[in-house]
Amino acid sequence: MTTGKKTGIGTVVLWLLALFGLGLMVWRFVAGLGAVTNLSDGYPWGLWIGIDILAGIALAAGGFVLAGVVHLFGGAKYHALTRPAILTAFLGYLLFIFGLMVDLGRPWNLYQAIFHWNHLSPMFEVAWCVMMYTTVLFLEFLPPVFEKFKWNALHKLWHALVPFFIIAILTLFTFAMSDSMTWTIIIFVVLLFWEVMMRAGAMPRDKQMPILLIMAGIIFSTMHQSSLGSIFLLAPDKLHVLWFTPIIPILFFLSAVMVAPAMIVVETMSTAKADGHDNHFSLLSTFTKGLPWLLIIYLVVKLVDLGVRGAFGDAFAFDGTSISWLLEIIIGVLLPLFILFGKGAREKPGTLLFASWLVVIGLIWNRVNVSMVGVKVDEWAMYIPAWSEVFITLGIFSIGILAMRWAGKFFPIHEH
Amino acid sequence: MKALLIDSTMCMGCRGCQVACKEWNDLPAESTKFFGGPGYQNPADLSPSTWTLITYHESITNGKLAWSFGKLQCMHCVDPGCETACPVHALTKMDDGPVVYDPHICLGCRYCQLACPFNIPRFEWSKAIPEITKCTLCADRIAAGMECACSKACATDAIIFGDRDKLIAEAEKRIAADSKRYVNHVFGKEEVGGTCVLHISDVPVNKLGHKKDVPLTALSAGSAPAMKAIPWVLTGLGIGLGAVSWIVNRREQVAQDEGGAV
Repeated sequence: MTTGKKTGIGTVVLWLLALFGLGLMVWRFVAGLGAVTNLSDGYPWGLWIGIDILAGIALAAGGFVLAGVVHLFGGAKYHALTRPAILTAFLGYLLFIFGLMVDLGRPWNLYQAIFHWNHLSPMFEVAWCVMMYTTVLFLEFLPPVFEKFKWNALHKLWHALVPFFIIAILTLFTFAMSDSMTWTIIIFVVLLFWEVMMRAGAMPRDKQMPILLIMAGIIFSTMHQSSLGSIFLLAPDKLHVLWFTPIIPILFFLSAVMVAPAMIVVETMSTAKADGHDNHFSLLSTFTKGLPWLLIIYLVVKLVDLGVRGAFGDAFAFDGTSISWLLEIIIGVLLPLFILFGKGAREKPGTLLFASWLVVIGLIWNRVNVSMVGVKVDEWAMYIPAWSEVFITLGIFSIGILAMRWAGKFFPIHEH
Repeated sequence: MKALLIDSTMCMGCRGCQVACKEWNDLPAESTKFFGGPGYQNPADLSPSTWTLITYHESITNGKLAWSFGKLQCMHCVDPGCETACPVHALTKMDDGPVVYDPHICLGCRYCQLACPFNIPRFEWSKAIPEITKCTLCADRIAAGMECACSKACATDAIIFGDRDKLIAEAEKRIAADSKRYVNHVFGKEEVGGTCVLHISDVPVNKLGHKKDVPLTALSAGSAPAMKAIPWVLTGLGIGLGAVSWIVNRREQVAQDEGGAV
């Protein structure tokens, strides 16, 4: 009611970008991927994998981190931040699947991953994590929908059935990944044990969210974030030594956790400004207490790994690749660390927002480095994205922002 | 396991193998043009309609200018990176040697292209319904008890077809018999854990259009530790998160109860 008076210039631009992107996507499906991309047989992955998928998924990590902190780790005071974060993650994942459809050559076969299992393939793990975690996010997103339409009976049913559904899909997931009955039974027993303990009243339960649902969100996210890194383990001779490491799945996971609080700050403060909600600044300020430590952990792991592999020389070769690596570290880790360790930095909205933006940009830079800058295939001309690839990505992100805004107004997401 | 042995010293660059490959696999001709460098090579590169290619290279042998010929095609790895990469087994290694592709389950994710250490699979970039394309080692012919079309067509027996271990023995015999001429390297014996297409030559293979520094272990060894860790992480999180939740929420309950009592 407060913002419906005029359509801002920003909204118009978003709509134009979204429509233009959709038009290009139609052309892509008529004329093939070659018509809109500069991809080649040497560089089969480009901007869409780097930005829409690797960076996009990492930036959606706020959902599982916040849900975990609030419902498992005793951070109930941050509850006001959870619903927007879960909504962002849910829309982010839907958008990611949408973007994936554009990038896949034969997207109508996506469902084949349900029936044909390659336990050895990191991409198989990625495919299953996407399906599973999107389902979990949908279930986590439902309470505001129940509230909006006052479907109280459904809400109760949801609460009663979700834990068993979670036990079923986590057990199936374990079987698909391990191909081992032993592991499958172990997971089943562990999860069932918690649920039985909660129903028996021995273990405390969360009134709003089934604990198992939150656990599943964390588990699938952990696997998904890390598996996106594991993908590159099969490109040892193509990915530059600065990024190719056996622990790349761990680095992908750590950086996703690290960007979560930063992304929550960026998102909460910018939507609050755009839509006139309370930006819960004092909450954000305490929530980001751990951010500098997450940055330090990531930095230490990354540097020790580099040292152990003897790649420090490459970091300071000062060629294009090394400069891109240095910028990733300086912008995304060192600079925000320097700012956040300043006295009272987290109490100043402008400073906190700036530092958070740096972490977010650094994370995107890292994923671009891994998927584009660091990939070298000698015989082919270096890949530079085509303008149409850029506009399809812009279109997808515009659709996401518009959808996020609409959902934020339509559903009871923001506490007042 | 069936294989091909390609001896570049016997190749005369007639490209009969390329033609035979196109004929057997019903692949259309390409319109081509001369280009700089190895200009007699035709076409310039592998493509969705060219699954094998004789590459032309000028070299100096015994002080004289000579042509050397390489043969590009799928190497049919014993433990293929593309097979490990493919999420749905659209690419599979058959027991008798060929690595074959099934478009009906392929997602078109192109991870096989990223994972192939020899950069062989070609994607149909200009098609609305694209496929991954590459040499099949004439899997259909092998299944029918015949040899590959290219080796069948080869006029000088520069390409021979047979069991992999026998061909390796043959390659090593030839190198030993004329060690001055041959480079002492059976390309494909150990590369990425072994391949079903083997090359011997009188010039280093990287001068024949093949990649230098191909890793000697199968690519699957690189991703295996990460994949094996999955059930451990799942179980660890399953136990750990539940325990944390129990302890934290219990502590809060106790704190609330005490708060109420006071």
